[in-house]
Amino acid sequence: MFVASALRQPAAGGSENDSRAIRRSSRHFGRPCSQAATCEVCPLREYVDIENGTVDRKIFSDPDIYKLEMEQIFARAWNFMCHESQIPKTGDFFATWIGEDRVLATRDKAGQVQVLLNTCRHRGNPVCRAELGNTKTFLCPYHGWTYGLDGELIGVPGHKDFYRGDLKKEDWGLPKAAQVESYKGFVFATMDPEAPPLEEYLGYVGLIGLDLIAARGDVEVVDGIQKNRIPCNWKLAVDNLFDWYHPQISHLSAERVGFLPTATLMPNDQTVLLGEYGHAISGASAIPGGMFTSPWRDRPEAQEALGPVGMKTAGHPNIFPNLWVSTNGTQLSLRLPRGPLETEIWWFTILEKDMSEPERQLSMYMATHLFGPAGLLEQDDGDNWGGSTYATIGTTSRNYPLNFAMGKGRAEIQEHESGQRWIDTTVNEHAQLWTYRSWAEWMDAKDWPALKRDHSPIPEGTI
Amino acid sequence: MGLTIAERMELQFEIEQFYYEEAATLDERRYSEWLELLTDDIHYWMPIRRTRLMEETDQEFTAPGAMALFDDNKDLLEKRVMKFGVEVSWAENPPSRTRHIVTNVRVLEISGDEMSIEANIHLYRTRLDSEETSWIGRRLDVLRRVDGSLRIAKRHIFLEQTVLLSTNLSSLF
Repeated sequence: MFVASALRQPAAGGSENDSRAIRRSSRHFGRPCSQAATCEVCPLREYVDIENGTVDRKIFSDPDIYKLEMEQIFARAWNFMCHESQIPKTGDFFATWIGEDRVLATRDKAGQVQVLLNTCRHRGNPVCRAELGNTKTFLCPYHGWTYGLDGELIGVPGHKDFYRGDLKKEDWGLPKAAQVESYKGFVFATMDPEAPPLEEYLGYVGLIGLDLIAARGDVEVVDGIQKNRIPCNWKLAVDNLFDWYHPQISHLSAERVGFLPTATLMPNDQTVLLGEYGHAISGASAIPGGMFTSPWRDRPEAQEALGPVGMKTAGHPNIFPNLWVSTNGTQLSLRLPRGPLETEIWWFTILEKDMSEPERQLSMYMATHLFGPAGLLEQDDGDNWGGSTYATIGTTSRNYPLNFAMGKGRAEIQEHESGQRWIDTTVNEHAQLWTYRSWAEWMDAKDWPALKRDHSPIPEGTI
Repeated sequence: MGLTIAERMELQFEIEQFYYEEAATLDERRYSEWLELLTDDIHYWMPIRRTRLMEETDQEFTAPGAMALFDDNKDLLEKRVMKFGVEVSWAENPPSRTRHIVTNVRVLEISGDEMSIEANIHLYRTRLDSEETSWIGRRLDVLRRVDGSLRIAKRHIFLEQTVLLSTNLSSLF
């Protein structure tokens, strides 16, 4: 598409620098790097203008930037796989994605959760084509290479007669995620052995985000993940989850038909938490007795898990890059990239096992009717994200950066004695701008040690 | 069912005509007339379909009470219909263009005033400049005779898509 011709030009210089040179030429569309003097690696930072609160439209449709996102973000990050309640028994599996890589979360014979690349080592075909289920082995439908629940290659047709024993099965198992960890039943995996441990990665902002579901008690995923495809860039779907500015217009019809009152759509009391590596929570403050509190928050265990800063927020967390914890809907949503111009939206519904029937029915009612493709709110969202995405392609349109400046310079960051920080404010775009700023840092860091060193600390003072 | 061929033909004709009239109310955006075709206790439900292994196809669709795409009572359907008439209902302003094709109508069971009817449905929709969706599936209805007229007391819709290949589900099936 737009920059493909620039990419196809062989880069000058030694082969070691080729990929960097190719990336540089693609990022600047043939223009010189404006920060060439200070930037060792051509920076994507310049696409996100922190001073002015703007973001270059090109990052939402450029295929080369998308390819880099797969490498620099999704292959490095801790990606949400599933909740352990989805795969309780030996042989249970759940198929999902890390970027464009198909993966399987399985429960092996030892009771451990494994995350395996779903691609046969012989010709690459997926060894499992079902979305979920239970199996003893994964048999590739092409030639019959067969793998165990832990990815070990346990069967090769013709191993004796055709391979004549030359194939060492122990060398040809399904590749495993570099690290797999579970936080209170929420399973994450990363393809990068250098990624920090999950809890360090999440930091207190990510942990509060997950605890806004986990602190409810003993929870489980309700059967049925809603999945649909929206022709939009995944980042615009992510940025929308923080957006408490759009409901008064986008979702006004839900209020007009008596489904939700206006105050629910856009409360003016907002709390923002900005975390390391791009995690953030933004949205309604949890005001005691208000619309956004819930009885479970009064339990001492919940208060301890969330801490005083976590107790302030009833907003929407995003675990960077793409996991939305939709706290009031008792749901999780993944925004899975399926190419620069397509995103698959998945909705997981998570409820306490010991809920009373009326409570459960109310939660299911909200889960079914707020979000998901037929949701009385979400059915009005997709066009906005798609419309924004496709308006980044036009030769002229794409030169006008998008505005994320709402509230910029107007917020004072508060700090609790625990060191946790937050912002009390009104409707704002701090979390969105923070997400894009972090996105650029991930894109510019050449590896995890560089990202650890160079990423923005949680801000202090005025933001 | 103990009916003569002539009685079955008459019943088949009545049901098919009812479905054609119903489809016309939706395609011609006469939504309040569509609502009148529903009983007050209607259950309007579209479970989620999954790609499953052959031995697990009994769990292909989510069960009642689990997650679904639609799980509506009359009140919710009234809200959806009201939404079609609200100018700030962006999914439907500008409105979708739909065509409901109802075929393969089979009377499965007759029990007192109620009949279980299976039909195939093709809902073709275009939106805005170039968005095009085809939803094809099976509808399992209960039709009830109320004061001599047929009314829809249950509509369960089983689509052929697992990952829905559409921006939203803002149409009625």
